[in-house]
Amino acid sequence: MRVLLVEDEAELREPLTERLSREGFTVDAGADGREGLFLGREYAIDVGIVDIGLPEMSGIEVIRELRKVGKHFPILILTARGNWQDKVEGLEAGADDYLVKPFHVEELLARLNALLRRAAGWSQPVLACGPVELDTRSQDVKLDGAPIDLTAYEYKVLEYMMMHAGEVVSKSELTEHLYDQDWDRDSNVIEVFVRRLRKKLDPEEHYKPIETLRGRGYRFVLARSG
Amino acid sequence: MNLSIHVRLLLAASLVLTAFLGLTGVALDKAFRSSAEKALKESLQASVYALLAAAGEDDQGRLTMPEILSDPRFNLPDSGFYAEVHSPDISFDWRSASAVGRHLNIGEPSVEPGERRFSQVRSGNGGEVVALSFGVSWEDFDGVETQYVLSVVEDMQPHQVQISAFRNTLFYWLGGAALVLLLAQGGVLRWGLFPLRKVSDELSDIESGGSDQLKGVYPQELTGLTDSINSLILQAQSRQQRYRDSLGDLAHSLKTPLAILQGMAELPETGDRNESRQLADQVDRMNQIVSHQLQRAAASGRSTLSRTIPVAVAVERIAKMLSKVYLEKGIRWELDLPDDLGFPGDEGDLMEFMGNLMDNAWKYGSQQVRISGLASGDGIELHVEDDGAGIPQAQAESVLQRGRRMDEQQPGQGIGLAVVSDIISAYGGELIVGESVLGGADLVALIPNH
Repeated sequence: MRVLLVEDEAELREPLTERLSREGFTVDAGADGREGLFLGREYAIDVGIVDIGLPEMSGIEVIRELRKVGKHFPILILTARGNWQDKVEGLEAGADDYLVKPFHVEELLARLNALLRRAAGWSQPVLACGPVELDTRSQDVKLDGAPIDLTAYEYKVLEYMMMHAGEVVSKSELTEHLYDQDWDRDSNVIEVFVRRLRKKLDPEEHYKPIETLRGRGYRFVLARSG
Repeated sequence: MNLSIHVRLLLAASLVLTAFLGLTGVALDKAFRSSAEKALKESLQASVYALLAAAGEDDQGRLTMPEILSDPRFNLPDSGFYAEVHSPDISFDWRSASAVGRHLNIGEPSVEPGERRFSQVRSGNGGEVVALSFGVSWEDFDGVETQYVLSVVEDMQPHQVQISAFRNTLFYWLGGAALVLLLAQGGVLRWGLFPLRKVSDELSDIESGGSDQLKGVYPQELTGLTDSINSLILQAQSRQQRYRDSLGDLAHSLKTPLAILQGMAELPETGDRNESRQLADQVDRMNQIVSHQLQRAAASGRSTLSRTIPVAVAVERIAKMLSKVYLEKGIRWELDLPDDLGFPGDEGDLMEFMGNLMDNAWKYGSQQVRISGLASGDGIELHVEDDGAGIPQAQAESVLQRGRRMDEQQPGQGIGLAVVSDIISAYGGELIVGESVLGGADLVALIPNH
């Protein structure tokens, strides 16, 4: 999942970027409103974290501009003052949730996951499709109740595909949403991950959870049960 | 006594006017009476001289009076004009023809020669008369002097009729003049005091939120006052704004470092897990204290000349925002707020306490939230109800009291409510925790207008 982080305080932005990356997010971090707006417009962002008090261009303006150009990814605003006028203005401008500074990173992660799930139409933190269960909080994956051991990148791919279960997800979409911009987009690494996932999720080739659509991409075919 | 300027001026002017017109009446009446009296005396005097001129003498040189006098009023009975001549020395008693059968009752037996004596008496017939008696000494041919008293009597009634007619006329004219003057004065006062009334109307308009400055054109004498009021309002507004801005800056500059500290405390590689937990707890506590005190300080309370804020607009904005934040809960909310319901204070304060109350309702309610309000007597009453578990009465007390010692409190419902309670107290209001018919809590904010 690709997250946009717009925060002017480097002491907050840098550790947060690091932490989000460790949690499996691909992070695009901007230090001011203009940079944030540019990143938000250029990249395939899944969720945004925008501080309201930004230099150059306020967070509220950034959100308003992003919505104006048709970017609908969920946005969480960070507010230092924490007053309701700011919160209401932020959400009226197009944000979806707020967090008052200072916050616990755990709280931020929970909110981000909730926003991502909500945007993809999931109501529970555990994504369940047939025998496959993926817990977005603990990042645990289970097959018929038995835990499955996945690498960070395998998890990322599975999470994205399960979030959009039933939809066609192209290879380039996966690379855009999951990897940093300097990643070699032409590599067949996605195919490798999908092959490994198939092996781990369905060793007996019984469920066939991931379908390949030639020239179009992949589809997670197990029906959502959550 | 606290009388209005209008009543004071009207009362004072009316009293002065009445006294002036009354005294004028008395003076005119007196002047008229004394001139009438003087004219009467002069006419009596002339009559006495005419009487004396009419007197003749007999062969011994003694005084005689003719039967008929030249003034016809003396000859006509009951004409109201009578003459009498008598002598205290000898038996001589003459009366004019008009006095036949009358008892004149002059009562002036002797008047020294050359002396004039006026008297105003009641005649025998009951009417009031005025008499002038004049003493003369008459020397006959033998050189014997005899004293006589010549009296002329005039009935007062015609004069009294004249005087009372004058008084009536005077009364009507003065009364009419007084009435016209009072009406004119009332009009002048209304017109003169109109700008003051306009100021007070505009001020109440400002208080009710219709306007934020005195915009009318005022007479020179008032422009000083209205300009001062305007600049006071501006000053109050900008002071409040500055205060808020600097608090906001303070909050921002304190909170970002706190956020960084918190982030550091949560990084697992900061070494000892126990230490970082302690650090995180302390940062949390600092943050809560800072947040609470800032919010308390920012709850400005009402300024003297602030406009009222429409409650329905702010509440609807918050409700829409909360239904976005708590989208998954799918809370059904309804607003029952009159459009003209106004909060007598700062918009930020209104949003702060309603935001916290409503956030709790969305957080703890299970399906339904209702926000209602009404203007009650001398203030407004706002209800935020939900269908959650509610707040037990025993906890309600502590929930509201927690704000006093923010650093001792546990996170949860109390944080918001303590802030709400503080803001409402700043307005002299009250926060009441009750039970809603929906099944959950009914939080009532009572805010007085003054």
